[in-house]
Amino acid sequence: MTQDPDPSSDEALRAAILSRLAKDDRTAMASLRVGVLNGIAHLAGLVPALETYAAAAEVAESVRGVRGVVNRIEAPGAPSPSRTVHLDLAEAGPAGKGNDKLPR
Amino acid sequence: MTPLTPMERAKAFLSRLRHFDELPEEIRQAIAASAVHRHFDAGQVIYVEGEPAEAIYVLESGWIKATRMTREGREQAMMFLRPPEVFGDIAVLTGTPYPGTVVALEDVDAWVIPAQTILDLVSSHPAFALAMIRRLGERVLHYISLVEDLSLRSVEARLANTLLRHSELRDGQLIVPRREWTTFDEMATRLGTVRDVLSRALKTLEAEGLLKVEKQAIVLLDPQGLEQHGSL
Repeated sequence: MTQDPDPSSDEALRAAILSRLAKDDRTAMASLRVGVLNGIAHLAGLVPALETYAAAAEVAESVRGVRGVVNRIEAPGAPSPSRTVHLDLAEAGPAGKGNDKLPR
Repeated sequence: MTPLTPMERAKAFLSRLRHFDELPEEIRQAIAASAVHRHFDAGQVIYVEGEPAEAIYVLESGWIKATRMTREGREQAMMFLRPPEVFGDIAVLTGTPYPGTVVALEDVDAWVIPAQTILDLVSSHPAFALAMIRRLGERVLHYISLVEDLSLRSVEARLANTLLRHSELRDGQLIVPRREWTTFDEMATRLGTVRDVLSRALKTLEAEGLLKVEKQAIVLLDPQGLEQHGSL
């Protein structure tokens, strides 16, 4: 049987991510939207540079308890926000987290 | 002719929505008065799962996709909607964050109605509450059929059913045009599977002479055979 989602912890994770995004110089000025469900963070919004796009995912990923990040932020050179995303959570293990691929 | 004001446009559009068309004028007026028009370009995110549900959306034009990520990290399609439709209502009425991510697959025009307006109207107008209950009931039926599909039917059966459901008659042939799925990934998400499995299922049905995959469309060569596959 699957576990019921824990909305309170998702809410706390969301608050922690938003707070870190606001404190980080690279993302503080960006207009970003964040949702967290089952420990997976979902990011959206519009930023002017690919560096900010990557920084936002990095910040969200750094929050303890976040199991993976789906980055749907719009930025020049970033993948389409509407693309299909699958996270490799099974292989993430304790050292890493699932993240959809960032453009190189 | 004088162009409609945004409020008149919203009100006129609400009267096209199933169940809302039977609402008294004053309720449609109240909804229209608080509705804000938003445009989303194709590919843009309308909301993401886990975001607080601050509004419901009434889809006026365009095509949207609602997905949800499983605990294992796989994206599952929940709904593909065309206008006139409402979305975001489940979260608003249950007081939970949005349960899925919604993106615009084409340019989308939508009316955004604040959650509070909806909740106030539900408490004060039984006719509106009933309209919302009917819409939610339809959504429950949709999810029952999705659960049935995902748990009881094979990928081939789901594929056969989906193709039949989205087929169009063109020049004497049943086809599913490319725009109905856009990419293989898109179609796999819709069927609750992954690209490789979908590709194998398509090849199996093609080898059986039931369909032909072309660049811009899938041609359904044997609809009856597909129908039989769909019930497996």
